[in-house]
Amino acid sequence: MKKIIFAVVVLAVAGVPLAIGGKYALHVGSMIAITATLALSMNLMLRIGQVSMAQGAFMGMGAYSSALLTMKLDWSPMVAMLASAVVVGMLAVALGFVFLRIKGVFFVLLTYAFAQIVNLSIQEASTWTGGNNGLYGIPKLAILGFRMVEPSAFYLCALAVAVLAWAVVHSVFRSRIGAILDSIEQDEGLSRALGTNALRWRVAVFGLSAVLASLAGSLFAHHLNFLSPANFTFLQNVDLLIMNIVGGVSSPTGAVLGALILVPLPELLRDAKQYELLIYGGILLGSLLFLRDGLVGRLGRLSFARRAVQTMREAGHGAA
Amino acid sequence: MALLEVDGVGRRFGGVQAVADVTFALQPGEVFGVIGPNGAGKTTLFNLIAGLFEPSSGRVVLDGTDITGWPSDSVARLGIGRTFQGVHTFKGVTVRENLQRAALLAHSFDPLRHFGNLMRRRSSVDVAVCEDVARFVGLHDRLEETAAGLSYGLKKLLGIGMALMQQPRLLLMDEPAAGLNPTEKRRLGEVIRDIRQMRCIDVMLVEHDMKLIMETCDRILVMNQGRPIALGDPTQVRSDPAVIDAYLGVDYDFA
Amino acid sequence: MNALIEQMVVNGILAGLVYVIMALGFTLVFGIMRVVNFAHGELYMVSGYVMLSLYGQHQMNYYLAVVCAVLFTAMLGAVLEKLLFQRFAGDELGGMIISLALAIILQAGALILFGPDEQSMPRPVSGVWHVHEAVLSLDRGFVAIWAVVALAAFWLFIKRTRLGLAMQAVAQDRVTAGLMGIQSKRVSLIAFSIGSALAALAGALMAPIYTVSPYMGELPLLKAFVVVILGGLGSIPGAMLGGLLIGMTESVFATLFDSTVALIASFVIVLVVIVVRPRGLLGKAVR
Repeated sequence: MKKIIFAVVVLAVAGVPLAIGGKYALHVGSMIAITATLALSMNLMLRIGQVSMAQGAFMGMGAYSSALLTMKLDWSPMVAMLASAVVVGMLAVALGFVFLRIKGVFFVLLTYAFAQIVNLSIQEASTWTGGNNGLYGIPKLAILGFRMVEPSAFYLCALAVAVLAWAVVHSVFRSRIGAILDSIEQDEGLSRALGTNALRWRVAVFGLSAVLASLAGSLFAHHLNFLSPANFTFLQNVDLLIMNIVGGVSSPTGAVLGALILVPLPELLRDAKQYELLIYGGILLGSLLFLRDGLVGRLGRLSFARRAVQTMREAGHGAA
Repeated sequence: MALLEVDGVGRRFGGVQAVADVTFALQPGEVFGVIGPNGAGKTTLFNLIAGLFEPSSGRVVLDGTDITGWPSDSVARLGIGRTFQGVHTFKGVTVRENLQRAALLAHSFDPLRHFGNLMRRRSSVDVAVCEDVARFVGLHDRLEETAAGLSYGLKKLLGIGMALMQQPRLLLMDEPAAGLNPTEKRRLGEVIRDIRQMRCIDVMLVEHDMKLIMETCDRILVMNQGRPIALGDPTQVRSDPAVIDAYLGVDYDFA
Repeated sequence: MNALIEQMVVNGILAGLVYVIMALGFTLVFGIMRVVNFAHGELYMVSGYVMLSLYGQHQMNYYLAVVCAVLFTAMLGAVLEKLLFQRFAGDELGGMIISLALAIILQAGALILFGPDEQSMPRPVSGVWHVHEAVLSLDRGFVAIWAVVALAAFWLFIKRTRLGLAMQAVAQDRVTAGLMGIQSKRVSLIAFSIGSALAALAGALMAPIYTVSPYMGELPLLKAFVVVILGGLGSIPGAMLGGLLIGMTESVFATLFDSTVALIASFVIVLVVIVVRPRGLLGKAVR
């Protein structure tokens, strides 16, 4: 019964932009769908206990890759989008084997540095990417030759991707894979003693999250038809974090909810754009101070004291 | 052929030689004990075999395969299970779920290969195996209880059960009797013997409790200051002058 | 060719000294509170605006203005520590995210109060100085002198005063320090205040040289972050060494290529350090 209500609510909410109609409503709807996919990408990483600042970078890579493939090589946007996702995913896996050996605060700093390198490189490679001036004239999305000129057509596309992303994250965590990931996150030493290669699993999740981020990035590119490195900064990544905190980390629906709440916010605050930042910061602060469970509770397990104790145990009681 | 061969194994930590020149061979069907005063290097040796770190010298061979320096998950997949000194279980879930997870984790080493397979929902792990192991360690009536709610002694048994779900050939036990009362210790001794006899799994345990060691082990390795000083059956070890010497001044009842 | 190298070296040292000041504050806070303070750059910015207000707009004496900016920001830091960071003592990730929230709020506040535009103020000194074949603008040289003085004062504080030694103790081993009667809460409070003061000093000194804007703290934070990772999170000598090394590296890359490439190079260094040797050059062993 619960599931039916859920499905109905989802359909109703998803139908709102179509009901209101008009370019603007569908634009906001599309942005919510794209951002929800990104929030889900971040959600995957948070579920395995890693705060990743790389999601924005993967989004950017997917966006520019898809844009350039369609513009310079005349590929179909659909193919470009999928190809980019595959490449970005593989890159994430390769990097993941190096990055995911690092945990906690250092992982955040590591992915932060990585994201900066990606962003700065995009700025620097201006002959290809247009640098800080931006990349214009990206073609609209097209499926099998059918160009999505209508905003409603694109919206449905973006929605489909978001729903797919949600379904993937949802089923991963409900399945045995979810049990494995939870086990690794709860007690890695025990999981490894039982035979799990924790690193590989973390890398798999990292790769999957990169694929989702890349798809979102490609959609973004073909929707706005314009890209600039300013779209893929540290701040965007923090936004994704905030969405997950607000919506609740422990379920993918929370991530989507977070996007649903936060994306329209700047649109509503059109006149007072500077307050947008303040509100985001305030929400983050508020959540941390008052919503102690959820994200912080989860991250709290990685706190210094706990880690110290775990490290001491694993280092094999040297003196015994 | 020996199940486990440890040959000249040693380990340095910075300037300290924690373990040196340890050599022994575990035959199939043995319960093997490792004892020694504090600082003897027992736990270091244990962790070397369990794969927590690499030996600085020597070799470790499991049933013909050289596993020297292998990490804990690789060693686990090859058939070495272990229990932990403080108890490690998945606290927030039931006893049943803990056991199921143990089986799941034991067969989950490659994400790609298992992705299609594993997308099935959680509850389809073999129920019968789970109940069998639960009955074996004595937790059959507590399957639906949360692990966090169990007493320390029962948690230990759960830990043993989880290691058994892995279907190991050799079970390493790190001070299993620590923190148990006499009744629980007796139960533990029975479980260990049953593991060897009924399940045909070798057991190697590091322990301080002399009574448990003398009663359950077929052979005992005695270490002192990182080196082996005696190796033999309980009777031999009990009367070995070097062993008595090492424990001099400490009130140990060998009887 | 010689002139070019000399200029690069001079630029490198000048930049490096400011980086060291920024990095010291950052690493002090991490070493003692285990918090990666993302708001460090915004404290630099706050100080810059205080300078703008006192010195730029109300013509206060330059030296007095610097002192006021530093004191104000230090007090702000103390208040923030007491209200926010103390709750997250021991929680590395939580503390870091709180600092993120703080950084966003501070920057947003500046945007609302002062608008996004860059503003400038008169320079305290002007002119150039010729050191061998390199050219040194006097105001930057001036800043360098301040920086060296501040560094010396800081070094003396840490090594010679009881409080400084207490801080070192807490940074090394919080629990033991507590057992010996050192109150880590008080030490954290003072550490954060000093860290803020250092950021403020850098901000106050650099404000007249460039311009003041709500975004002015972003780059110094990045630099501090790079320096501290290289030198070792929590290590004071590391921050000094790292600062000079990064200043030099950037100067070279910026001269040979451009400043964006220099920044990329810095982040690549960070990446490599975290992966290969997380403790940096002079930091304590991590994990």
